[in-house]
Amino acid sequence: MSEHQDPKPSPPNSGDGWRVLSYLIGGVVLYGGIGFGLDRLFGTQFFLPVGIVLGAGLTILLLHFRYGSRS
Amino acid sequence: MTAGVPTEFIAPGPQSFDTPPIIDGVEWFTKPVLVSALTVVVILWFFWGASRKAAVVPSRLQFAGELGYNFVRNSIARDAIGSQEFMKYVPYLTGLFFFILLNNVAATVPLLQFPTFSHIGWAYSAAIMSWVIYNAVGIRKHGPWGYFKHQTMPAGVPWWLMPLMIPIEFISNILVRPISLSLRLFANMFAGHILLLVFVLGGEYLVFETGKIALAGVGVVTWVMGIAIAGLELFVQCIQAYIFVVLTAQYIGSAIAEDH
Repeated sequence: MSEHQDPKPSPPNSGDGWRVLSYLIGGVVLYGGIGFGLDRLFGTQFFLPVGIVLGAGLTILLLHFRYGSRS
Repeated sequence: MTAGVPTEFIAPGPQSFDTPPIIDGVEWFTKPVLVSALTVVVILWFFWGASRKAAVVPSRLQFAGELGYNFVRNSIARDAIGSQEFMKYVPYLTGLFFFILLNNVAATVPLLQFPTFSHIGWAYSAAIMSWVIYNAVGIRKHGPWGYFKHQTMPAGVPWWLMPLMIPIEFISNILVRPISLSLRLFANMFAGHILLLVFVLGGEYLVFETGKIALAGVGVVTWVMGIAIAGLELFVQCIQAYIFVVLTAQYIGSAIAEDH
């Protein structure tokens, strides 16, 4: 992700997998939380699961843009 | 040994981590405090001894010290932060790595046998320290607003997706990172220690308390498994120290990286 002028080819980043985890948690927590709030507001039951799936999907999309096209 | 009189097995749980004060009346001086203080002394002794008589032809201690230092410097700091700015952060990363490593391995050292970071407050403190550092260096490099933009604008995302992505980026970079950093370390140390307790105490109960030969045999097998788990735990303890420091270095690296 950083484009330093490293003479040697950059090694595989061993921490990337762990960073991806925090993205996944973040997306699910954020949109799941919004869904939870909407459910409480309107007395419905479907916003929480929709939010969780939406959050996970958006995060995977984000990871695709962020890490997918690096090589 | 009270064979023949089965007493009830009390499973180890979170209460097993409530350590009483070592000296009566000194409330704060508990086992984790003792272990962490000891590790600080050991680290000081080790690196002081390794660098005191630094020579071109290194002594064994100096060689070991340089091995440890070079590992953090080259394999963690330089790879994650980049070869221009990494030296500033090597002292912190080295200290952090050896502090966590020794406190984790203390769970395997006889007589100590307590992982400091199985008390979550310790994990929180370490994570907060790393959190403050990577945010501070990022703000110093980019300015408050520039850093905020840097940490919330995901690279390579089409503009029409930005409104949905920016909150995810913010939550994961600013809020989830310190939590996952601390919980990962805490949970690994806590779960590993409790697993060992189950195997060792369960084996002891089977061998000494049940009074049945067959169950005593199972208890011996349980102990053998416990030893295997202890070996696995030693591996986990080293890995967790490594992951914590690699992630700290990566967070610093991404905080000071140039926008692109």
